[in-house]
Amino acid sequence: MKAERIKSIGIDGLLKNNPTFRLVLGTCPTLALTTAATNGIGMGLAVTFILICSNVIISLLRKIIPGEVRIPAFVMIIATFVTLVRMLLDKFIPDLYESMGVYLPLIVVNCIILGRAESFASKNPVADSALDGLFTGLGFTWAMTAISIIREVLGAGQLFGITLWDFRIEFFTSSAGAFFVYGLCIALFNGAYTKIESKMRRKRFRSLYEAPLGEETLQAVAEQDTSVKEGR
Amino acid sequence: METVIISDTPHLRKKRTTKGIMLDVLIALIPATVAGLVYFGGRAAVTLILSVFSSVATEFVWLLCKKTDFKTILKQFDYTSAVTGLLLGLTMPPLEYSLWYIPVLSGIFAVGAVKMLFGGTGKNIVNPAIAGRVFAFIAFSGSMVSGWISPAFGSLSSGNEVYAGATPLTDLLGGGLQAVGVSNLDLFLGTGVPGCIGETCKIALIAGGIYLVARKVIKFQYPLIYIAVTGLVSVFMSGTDWNVFLPSVLGGGLILGAVFMATDYVTSPNNKPASYVYFVLLGVVTALLRYGTKIEVVSFAILLMNLIVPLLNAYIRPRPFGATPVIKMIKDKIEAKKASAVKKEADGK
Repeated sequence: MKAERIKSIGIDGLLKNNPTFRLVLGTCPTLALTTAATNGIGMGLAVTFILICSNVIISLLRKIIPGEVRIPAFVMIIATFVTLVRMLLDKFIPDLYESMGVYLPLIVVNCIILGRAESFASKNPVADSALDGLFTGLGFTWAMTAISIIREVLGAGQLFGITLWDFRIEFFTSSAGAFFVYGLCIALFNGAYTKIESKMRRKRFRSLYEAPLGEETLQAVAEQDTSVKEGR
Repeated sequence: METVIISDTPHLRKKRTTKGIMLDVLIALIPATVAGLVYFGGRAAVTLILSVFSSVATEFVWLLCKKTDFKTILKQFDYTSAVTGLLLGLTMPPLEYSLWYIPVLSGIFAVGAVKMLFGGTGKNIVNPAIAGRVFAFIAFSGSMVSGWISPAFGSLSSGNEVYAGATPLTDLLGGGLQAVGVSNLDLFLGTGVPGCIGETCKIALIAGGIYLVARKVIKFQYPLIYIAVTGLVSVFMSGTDWNVFLPSVLGGGLILGAVFMATDYVTSPNNKPASYVYFVLLGVVTALLRYGTKIEVVSFAILLMNLIVPLLNAYIRPRPFGATPVIKMIKDKIEAKKASAVKKEADGK
């Protein structure tokens, strides 16, 4: 696998198609489980693990699964790994298992995992799919962590369970605060993303912007980005 | 020789500006503010000053961050954020001095998140002052409850000792006014009645409302509809007990909400029929929510109803000039049907 391919999958999962901020998928756990940073990270890592495993298996079976029944087949595979993770967490990290509650079994119908299976793993080779699962999962994890740190610090005066100060704004631990922080984070991320992207495009096609007319202009157009990822 | 002046629309202009209207609202709020200061003293003053200051400062800081010239900001400043801050302060309990951050943060939320984030004056989806109050109640529910103090004057009628608590409406919903010894006259004047800074003295609020009506800032029907519907629904909810009417109208923040908040231009429907529907629904929602939750919910009711205003605007349209009225249209249709039926019968014979 080329380094360029790895880089493009990585940027795609972490930033360009970040499941939380750009695609706005998997909002249910994002809103419900971001009251504490540990919950956010735990949920993110659980999703990452399931995403890698299901992506690998689905990618392996992509030529066997008939197109008509692919969704039930994907759900079966995902459900298997969710059950596995539930058992493991219940055995080894019971605290996290308790705090995640109903949202852990609900990962089965998490649209990030189903979306990656449908749009990527069922069309790409195994190694690519595993990498895509890893980076999409990490993208989800960092987004969850960012939201939950804001909410925990403002709402409970704590960070990873360590009390920082006594000042609490209970609004941020309530569900109204979840929507508010989530919306603000989406706005900030997309604002920053668009700004950086336009700056980078300006840099890449500088000749296009600066030279008014001439041969360089045509050359620059030919150079256009061909590394657009398939499967979306 | 006559001169013909050709100009673009609009041809008719009024001298009325947003700035002028907001100044009128500020003037109309003076009686209620003074009453609040007299009844609740220094705590009320600090709460009001902090909320007004933080609201206005938020607007200035926001505009400065957008790299607007300070002189332009000063020129364009139309007192809306001052009105928001004052209303926000008036809907808060007289808070302890150590809780100074509640009005400050609520003011920042009201102007920053609800007004400026959506595009500034005239673009807010809900009333900023209402949103700020609801924010304060959700965010600091514990501190807000402990903020209630008793007013400076005791009850006129019963001579009972002054008590501290939320609005007497909560007691009315729970058991009855007799239990706390407050008469309707007390509720009207705000004597011996605890509550938010601006809501207890109804006579001051009504004076402000009359000023607004006289200055044609608001229409008198709308607050009246809201208040009357809330009272009537409350009466029917309590089994047609007409003694409930006055306390449910005078207790709590209904008059403050009806006169100053529900009539906000930005967050109320833009035509007459839709406004009637809006204010009737507002009254019904307020009364039903009060009986459902057993607490004062005027701010929550207005917040909820603010959100359906775009829907009302979209579905209930005023009749365009020259169009046939709906009732006449239906009558015409029925008559046409009858005529055709008669004609058919005649043809059949």
